[in-house]
Amino acid sequence: MNLSAYRKKSPWILHYNAGGCNGCDIVILACLGPKYDIERFGMINTGNPKQSDILLVTGPVTKRSRERLVEIYGQMPEPKVVIACGACASTGGVFRGMYNCEGGVDQFIPVDVYVCGCGTRPEQIIDGVVQALAILEAKTKEMETSVQLNKAAIPEGEQLNRRHIAAEIEMPVMI
Amino acid sequence: MNSTLIAILLILVAPFVGGLLYGFERIVKARMQRRIGPPLLQPFYDFIKLADKRKMVVHSAHAFLGIMHFFSLWFALAVLLLGGDLILVIFLHLLSSALLILAAYSTRSIFSHLGANRMAISILAYEPVLIIIAVSIYILTGSFDAGAAFSSEQPLLYKMPLAFIALLLVLPIKMKKSPFDVAEAHQEITGGAELEFSGIFFEALYTAKWLDYVFCYTLVFLFAGSNILLGIALMAFTFLYLNALDNSSARVNYKQMLRFSLGVSFSLAFINLLINSLS
Repeated sequence: MNLSAYRKKSPWILHYNAGGCNGCDIVILACLGPKYDIERFGMINTGNPKQSDILLVTGPVTKRSRERLVEIYGQMPEPKVVIACGACASTGGVFRGMYNCEGGVDQFIPVDVYVCGCGTRPEQIIDGVVQALAILEAKTKEMETSVQLNKAAIPEGEQLNRRHIAAEIEMPVMI
Repeated sequence: MNSTLIAILLILVAPFVGGLLYGFERIVKARMQRRIGPPLLQPFYDFIKLADKRKMVVHSAHAFLGIMHFFSLWFALAVLLLGGDLILVIFLHLLSSALLILAAYSTRSIFSHLGANRMAISILAYEPVLIIIAVSIYILTGSFDAGAAFSSEQPLLYKMPLAFIALLLVLPIKMKKSPFDVAEAHQEITGGAELEFSGIFFEALYTAKWLDYVFCYTLVFLFAGSNILLGIALMAFTFLYLNALDNSSARVNYKQMLRFSLGVSFSLAFINLLINSLS
């Protein structure tokens, strides 16, 4: 019996704000409301990384939140997919290059789907999640680690340079 | 003999019935919020998906206690459906909750500990009421057996309406529904005691939740005696009442819950007991 077909019937979502302006978060919550109602696809906003399949990240990764992001990602059991929601999470957005921000989520954890927009629209998020489900179905239960864990540690006091730590990613799905 | 066969059949299909009930409840809750809601078989899809996740265990005793929670709850339900001793049923249910509390305390997560604390407080809130109800049933039927209540000619509801109201007031605590869902509190402590379970081990807790639904609705059915139609009506009423309450109320804190439960629900059940024992 092929169990992986059932993955896309009950994707449980974990939503993490890595330091954004809260705009995309409100849009994500609007998806759960009566107008868009993503629960009809079986999605639940769990809030518990150990029981969720999809990590929705919003906002640029600040220096305070990067450890939490990697930690939360590590706690999710495979198969799992990551969606970077909004311009900030995808590239850093308007916060890119600021002293307190690191830029996009993909510098720390492998991202499967990028959803653009500032802020994103609910339809885009739903479309992104539906594309993520196709990726989720094809994934295996192999261990996936964060990008940062594969890299050498950054020395104390050094300014992070995006070009040096950016992840090698294959062509991402752009929406 | 025939009723025993029906009881055994019910025990075997209890998780499926509970799953369907949970799926139906999610639809009803969604419709109350003007949403469409998930398909009816959604809990089973979740079940299959959870079995397919990579296994992550905090430590083996933690996972074992979670699975034992499921089996002890199933055993408690079996004793109740077979018409066993009500006090035994209540304490077996307590045992299953205690196993989950132990599991939650055995991890190092703060949320898990908080959930275990709150679960213990919830037990303190609903357990005395259930025991008083069991004693009332003993006074009316002359036996602690659930079988005596199931087979009584006159429905117990007519003799102990206050106890039924008390049961309705403690059921949200037991089933972890608003306003008394401090033990689970998804937005606050992200599930509490079930926090550290994942994948196939969370499945045990997820299924135990379905069994708990069947357990609670069987307790409601107890009040109808041998009148099956009245029993179904009572269960339907309780179902709608619980979901309406869950959708329309905000969470109270554990002190308010304890005060309300021991002040109002316990008093109602106790007054009912006094009336029953005096008349």
